[in-house]
Amino acid sequence: MAELQIRGLRKAFGDTEVISNVDLTVKDGEFVVFVGPSGCGKSTLLRMIAGLETATAGNISIDGRDVSNADPSKRGIAMVFQTYALYPHMTVEENMGFGLEMSGVPSAERKRLVRKAAETLHLEPYLARKPRQLSGGQRQRVAIGRAIVRDPKIFLFDEPLSNLDAELRVRMRIEIAKLHSDLGATMIYVTHDQVEAMTLASRIVVLRDGRIEQVGTPMELYNDPDNRFVAGFIGSPKMNFVPVRVKGRTESGAVKLEVEALGLKDFAILPRNPSAPIEGSIFLGIRPEHFEPAGTAGGATVRLPVGAIEHLGGISYAYSDPGQETSLAAEIRGMPDLKAGSEVTLTVRPQTCLLFSQSGERL
Amino acid sequence: MRRSLASNILLAFSITFLVLLIGLPFWWVLSGSFKLPQEIIARVPTMFPHSFTLQHFGKLLSGSDYPVYMANSLIVAGLSTVITLVLAVPAAYAFFRLAFPGREMLYRAILLAYAFPSIVVLIPLFGMFARIGLIDTLAALVIINVTFALPFSIWMLRSFFASVPKEIEEAAVMDGAPPTVILRRIMIPLVTPGIASVGIFAFISAWTEYVFASVLIVSDARRTVPVGFSGIIGQYQIDWGLLLAGAGLAVLPVVILFALVGRWFVSGLTEGAVK
Amino acid sequence: MPKSQALAIAFVAPALLVLAAILGWPLVSAVLLSLQDVKTIGSQGQWIGFQNYAGVISNPAFWRSVAMSVAWVVANAVIQTVLALVAALTLHQNFPGVKIARTWIILTWIVPTVVVVIIWRWLFSTSGGMINPLLMQTGIVERPVGFFSTPWTAMATLIFINSWRWFPFIALMMLAGLTRIPSDLYEAARIDGANGWKRFTRITWPLLAPTLSVLAIVGTLLSFNVFDIIWLLTAGGPAGGTRTLPVMIYETAFKGYRLSEAATISVFATILLMVFALAATRLLAREGENR
Repeated sequence: MAELQIRGLRKAFGDTEVISNVDLTVKDGEFVVFVGPSGCGKSTLLRMIAGLETATAGNISIDGRDVSNADPSKRGIAMVFQTYALYPHMTVEENMGFGLEMSGVPSAERKRLVRKAAETLHLEPYLARKPRQLSGGQRQRVAIGRAIVRDPKIFLFDEPLSNLDAELRVRMRIEIAKLHSDLGATMIYVTHDQVEAMTLASRIVVLRDGRIEQVGTPMELYNDPDNRFVAGFIGSPKMNFVPVRVKGRTESGAVKLEVEALGLKDFAILPRNPSAPIEGSIFLGIRPEHFEPAGTAGGATVRLPVGAIEHLGGISYAYSDPGQETSLAAEIRGMPDLKAGSEVTLTVRPQTCLLFSQSGERL
Repeated sequence: MRRSLASNILLAFSITFLVLLIGLPFWWVLSGSFKLPQEIIARVPTMFPHSFTLQHFGKLLSGSDYPVYMANSLIVAGLSTVITLVLAVPAAYAFFRLAFPGREMLYRAILLAYAFPSIVVLIPLFGMFARIGLIDTLAALVIINVTFALPFSIWMLRSFFASVPKEIEEAAVMDGAPPTVILRRIMIPLVTPGIASVGIFAFISAWTEYVFASVLIVSDARRTVPVGFSGIIGQYQIDWGLLLAGAGLAVLPVVILFALVGRWFVSGLTEGAVK
Repeated sequence: MPKSQALAIAFVAPALLVLAAILGWPLVSAVLLSLQDVKTIGSQGQWIGFQNYAGVISNPAFWRSVAMSVAWVVANAVIQTVLALVAALTLHQNFPGVKIARTWIILTWIVPTVVVVIIWRWLFSTSGGMINPLLMQTGIVERPVGFFSTPWTAMATLIFINSWRWFPFIALMMLAGLTRIPSDLYEAARIDGANGWKRFTRITWPLLAPTLSVLAIVGTLLSFNVFDIIWLLTAGGPAGGTRTLPVMIYETAFKGYRLSEAATISVFATILLMVFALAATRLLAREGENR
């Protein structure tokens, strides 16, 4: 069992709060991804779990044992750093065995464990080499191997793929996913790349300004975000947000809207909580990929001006008013000849639209 | 980047200027030490020696206590270097990475050590050493040299430690290494150029130290080269040949040392000067 | 974590103890000495309060030494900076042999002071030296120049010799500063049409200024303390023309056998240096903020 529990965790530098009141439970075997914009505190949170940063308040428990004040090496965790942090003057074998050496594991046993981990990662041919003789991807695997060797309860990954080029990143992403399914270990992974989050995570923790915005499975966050920030963060290109005018409510609680930006006069959307009152001006969110072809059943017709168009082959992205805040992005398939300056007819279905209050809460 | 003709000429001038400024005096001394006495004091001095003799060196090595001075200097410089490193490396690491009360203040205080004239401490130290019976001992010189080398050494080592990526230290912490092991197995191997630079600095400073060596050492048997040498100046006021030969020999050990490890010292100075 | 604190203290304690014992304590004791009337080393003295201080302040020789030290420091700073700048800029270029040059330029600094003394005592001497014959041969002067014979020439000669000894060290530190200027700045400037001089004044100089300021301060502190070169070449003469403060302190203590008086002068010298160091670092800090 390798469960992680964080209660009331806080970190402040004087008056500046970097992490505010974080509560989180990571269950055994989960792959949890911390994601968020730069400076949101995801790395800090990870390092606090690791023990590399101290907490101002709150506690951290692993398997029921309070490790808030425990030495990093005594928490049952292992970490893979963004820059791999391999010891440059030691061989791969020595790098991977260093932690065991520190725990007093005898040399023969160390060799065995290192070799076993090296096999898992196809590193046997490199055991006698030094880090500078390896490629980026190989170094990364050594860093992972160093973690595996320690047989930790929880693996921590701090943006491990940021330093790799795009193609390598895709391959390593798949390898890490495979590692997770092979080992079945609990893994906590930090990234700013929401694609990595969506593809690797069993659950995602979205952070902003030191607070948790939402925790959920990738699909939960995609389909049912709690607020505008999460809705805009997950999914690429970003969700479109347009102001709407509330014209009334139906009996079932659906909101009748006039959506000027889409040219819709009577568009009814069912909010998450139909009985809750709606006050003030609100916003409608629709993802670019949810603009459907003209004539789709159950939706309203929308005519968008094409200010700019990007053809990527199978998909195209049309932008109504590039450069402006109010620009709408739409994902279009099957129209490779669509040109800028023209107009495109699409359908919008209310089931794919989300409502947000002025302050960003999901309605 | 190709240089313009004007830049090239300017560069050539400054190179020539520097080569002459630094090289010429040494060349004159070196060549002079092999010249016959008549040629040395000839009215029209020669750039290239017309004569060749080893008599000056012979006189120097057999007639004076020069070999003794050399031995003393080597012992003092060697010990000073080793002890300086032993003290400065852990201290630099602690100032850099470990937390303890008063750290910043103490660090600045150490650097201020260079802000007062060493003459100030000469007098009380002489009295202090006299009371402990350290006058006329090589140990006294080693203590002095270590003391004066420490602030710069700590400063330089600290900036070398700072150049090691923090994540490597953190990985070692995660691996369960205590600070002593981190220092010994991880940090020191990664800052060997810095250690070499500091060692060379300590050696050279100790080798050339004059003031304290002249005051604290009284007997000829324990004199170091700089002091013993100035004594010879006094004795043989006009024997230039002897003096030039002595100068050549005094320079020799440092030149040899520098030929072997000089690059590290220079790269240490040029890279280590990062706050 | 108290345990790691204890370890940290163990790491620094030996070095700190040495410094405290050999530098810290004698400083205190020098101040104490200055308040007594000790004459020769080891003799007992009586407490006479600030009498020594009054005596030193009213002694014109003291002020002459102060002036001499100031002149010494300033002249050294100027000449060393100029020479070091030339050397650093040269070594920053790429030419065959530059690597060797960078290593060996510091030759004049690694050589013991006595050797420097002998070299120049010989080269500058009026009989048997190399400089005078060279000057006469090329017709620059008619008679041999007595480089050490008058206070002015002695001071100038000493300044030259000391600068010769120290400028490579400063040059290397400047070189460090130069290498930290990104080369794309120069490339962009070239494309903008800036010539060598412009590139120097608009890129090199401003970006090197912080390094230069630090070096100026450090260099000043170091050159203030120079004793052996002056003592061995002129012993403060001729006629006290090169008697800087360190020389005066040494003379008073070991030749004049007036230990307490020497300690008093030392205290004054220390105060002078400290004031300078603090003022300079504050000026630097403010400059750094203004950028």
